[in-house]
Amino acid sequence: MAMDEIVDGLSEVSCDVLVIGGGTAGPMAALKAKLKNPKANVVLLEKANVKRSGAISMGMDGLNNAVIPGYATPEQYTKEITIANDGIVDQKAVYKYAERCYGIIEELDSFGIRFLKNENGDYAVKKVHHIGTYVLPMPNGETVKKAIYRQLRRARILISNRYMATRLLTGSDGRIAGAISVNTRTAEVLVIKAKAVILCMGAAGRLGLPTSGYMFGTYENAANSGDGYAMAYHAGAALANLECFQINPLIKDYNGPACAYVAGPFGAFTANNEGSRFIECDYWSGQMMLEFYNELQSGKGPVFLKLDHLHEDTISEIETTLHKVERPTRGLFHEGRKTDYRQEPIEMHISEIGFCSGHSASGVFVDEFARTTVPGLYAAGDMASVPHNYMLGAFTNGSVAGEDAMEYADNTDFASFDAADIERERERVMAPTRREDGIPPNQIEYKARRLVNDYLQPPKVTRKFELGQRRLAEVREDMETRMIARNAHELLRALETQSIVDCADMAAHASLYRTESRWGLYHLRTDYPEKDDENWFCHSLLSKKDGRMASEKRAVEPYIVPIGEDEKDLYDKQRIRASA
Amino acid sequence: MPLASYQTSVPVVVDDAKCIADKGCTVCVDVCPLDVLRISDMTGKAFMAYDECWYCMPCEADCPTGAVTVNIPYLLR
Amino acid sequence: MADPFESYDDLDDIDDRLHAADPGERRVAIIAIGHSGDPAAVAHLDRMTSDPDPGVRQQVALALGEFDGPEAAAALVKVLVDPEQAVANAAADSMAELKDPGCADAILPLVSHAHAFVRMASLRALKELRRKDTLKPALDALRDTDAAVRVQAIGVIGFLKMEESIPALTSVTTDADAHVRRAAVSALAFSQMKPAAESITRALADTDWMVREVAAETLGTNVNGMHATDPLINALTDEFWQVRLKAVRSLGKMKVARAVPAIGACISHAQANLRKEAAAALGEIADPGGRKFLEPIVDDPDPEVRKNARWAMQQIVARKGALG
Repeated sequence: MAMDEIVDGLSEVSCDVLVIGGGTAGPMAALKAKLKNPKANVVLLEKANVKRSGAISMGMDGLNNAVIPGYATPEQYTKEITIANDGIVDQKAVYKYAERCYGIIEELDSFGIRFLKNENGDYAVKKVHHIGTYVLPMPNGETVKKAIYRQLRRARILISNRYMATRLLTGSDGRIAGAISVNTRTAEVLVIKAKAVILCMGAAGRLGLPTSGYMFGTYENAANSGDGYAMAYHAGAALANLECFQINPLIKDYNGPACAYVAGPFGAFTANNEGSRFIECDYWSGQMMLEFYNELQSGKGPVFLKLDHLHEDTISEIETTLHKVERPTRGLFHEGRKTDYRQEPIEMHISEIGFCSGHSASGVFVDEFARTTVPGLYAAGDMASVPHNYMLGAFTNGSVAGEDAMEYADNTDFASFDAADIERERERVMAPTRREDGIPPNQIEYKARRLVNDYLQPPKVTRKFELGQRRLAEVREDMETRMIARNAHELLRALETQSIVDCADMAAHASLYRTESRWGLYHLRTDYPEKDDENWFCHSLLSKKDGRMASEKRAVEPYIVPIGEDEKDLYDKQRIRASA
Repeated sequence: MPLASYQTSVPVVVDDAKCIADKGCTVCVDVCPLDVLRISDMTGKAFMAYDECWYCMPCEADCPTGAVTVNIPYLLR
Repeated sequence: MADPFESYDDLDDIDDRLHAADPGERRVAIIAIGHSGDPAAVAHLDRMTSDPDPGVRQQVALALGEFDGPEAAAALVKVLVDPEQAVANAAADSMAELKDPGCADAILPLVSHAHAFVRMASLRALKELRRKDTLKPALDALRDTDAAVRVQAIGVIGFLKMEESIPALTSVTTDADAHVRRAAVSALAFSQMKPAAESITRALADTDWMVREVAAETLGTNVNGMHATDPLINALTDEFWQVRLKAVRSLGKMKVARAVPAIGACISHAQANLRKEAAAALGEIADPGGRKFLEPIVDDPDPEVRKNARWAMQQIVARKGALG
């Protein structure tokens, strides 16, 4: 059989809880669901292979947001996130995370995941931020996936690798009914009926095009093409604050994190061309990215991660972590360019845009139980709207989702759906394979992502967005009528391209809806340069209504941790300009 | 429109002498998040079939015989 | 269409493949058995620890890392003493992931093994198991000829947090090896006994700057650290700014008003990291005497420095107000 040859096939399975995405949140959701009801069937569906999929395929070098007793409190953390996210936060979910995450750390530790401990065996939490203490390094964090996978196998979770979910099935009563997926190596279709579905499909990280021009050289794992965002949208779920883009500081060209959180506790810092600090903001936020962007644009750029003032032994220690965990090819990259941390700083840049609540706030709208607006549908991790939740948030909220979804599944029956939905979706999915002639997915993807860079990248200009929407509509037309896939692998890329174009459309639509500027660089609109609390102190929710994209406002839930008047501008106050 | 293919130098290199894919090993092919590795029908060894690499390294780290080397893709080197 | 789910292979089926003549095929079978998630797989792996092919044994050592418990530990012991270093390394890494305290029985005899690597790796694995009966052998290992072994022995002792180990830990704060001294000083942090704090304090005069740095930091967390304020103030003139920085931080945490002039002297240092911590410490102490040092840096070119300086000024004003 020729490589990746297309096979005509359709099969159906059913389960109690279906988890889609086996990266970080997904395995935890599946594990917790199974532990809650060991008799139930839990399926974990993954586009790649659970062993090494997702943002942490090579582990993680530290926790940025660990709320550990004695170092930080849930109240303090909730305040911090509320302020860092310019107030647009439903605090219940953040508070729940903050309360539960320590238990999750202990659990991960019991799985054999290695956090930095001092010689007394206590977690070696580091103070990096001005106010709270949240950073727990993981210099030996390369085995995270291995440890989680081990737990899945022990619990005998049904793992289905190399199946890409394409659409959710919903019942006539509006409840979730399952999902349709396609094998990435044979194009066979697998229908999974489920009582509850948890989406853990990661960031939309293949949205903007990296400046290197290499399509897969993205900041996020390039497999994270925003399929979850697209699927939630087409199922009618609401997506929150998508205009709050993700943009990250990174090592220029390499496009991976420079990891100020690893080097920071050792005394390294982000510096301008004069070797001086310039970031005034404390917590990672859109405001911080705006300062970064402004410095890059000013005569004081380029921007660097500065380590050359540190002692040789300290640098060696930092290198051991940076070149082993999370993005281990960092060392290889520096070696190729003959960059030695001891001699010169590392040139940094900012990433292409994406959606990711892990670092910002753009995600499928969820409450504190990880429930979306579709009954029986849950979301967790980088694609769910709990802001700034990083890896530990994915584990913690995945665990919340798994438990609640199993409880829901235990008390419900399968929703009935229209069997014709399956045939319709199968035809839609297979369409690129039925064409004799056309445009390959890589060209369509490249063009869409180039347009994202040209028109949607902040600062956001209304006229540019409108032009971008027109150009993207042309690409969509080509995608829907002319895209071809000659084998199953190309079909995988073709389907990912559809997610990417959906996300690009959502990014444009959501950005035009919020007529103010908020979240620093993430939503900086040149024609509405001011923050407008009177009209826009609210979430924006995007959803599919009558087949079209629609946006609406949703009030921010009353705070459970009040923010004092004097604290509201805490971040502004910290940005202390030199008066001289 | 007719299609043409164009040349690209792939970042993942496999040492055929060390690779044991012909003994039934599929580790590197299994772990790749982008699914770009395949086993050659002709040689029985693993190779990079698609230049769509995130240079993330599970293929190299998990290879039981140290046969796989990940290089930085040329465009961003 | 094939089963869409990952298989939970029958161990007996895999076992047949473990007897394949080709070592490559045996390795592939071991990978499968490692992923089985079935505790019964350990017995199969155990038998493979004596495979003639070192590559196979290395794979066994890795696969054993997927399991926990006394049986897995006993099998790992066999590959940890393997003559091939690559096999032993893999075994050491797998062993460090064991969590079941019951594993200690199999590992303990290795603490006196002829090879330093084996002694080091077994102590490293025992650390996380936190079993009281590992204290005695770890104390003996403090006299090991190999420094890496001594460092791991300190870890075992330090993780147990038992006051009775303080005399022994104190004795290694003057070890010939700097890594050992560093570990020893840091392991004393938990102790409520005065000799522990005295030992940490003496380490402020160590010849190695990293030992001095750890000592300055540890005094900030040890309950008796406040008895070491004078030596900490002396440390503010250490030739390494890294040491000064930790001393500043500890003195700030302990709110030592006497330290204000010496901390103030750090404010003019060229290293922004030190200026920032000095400003923060003056704020924590909130003594009016800090004002004159802070005033010149409220417009420091470094945003972190001026942020901390202004915050510190507010603390001084607030405290003065509170005192009326």
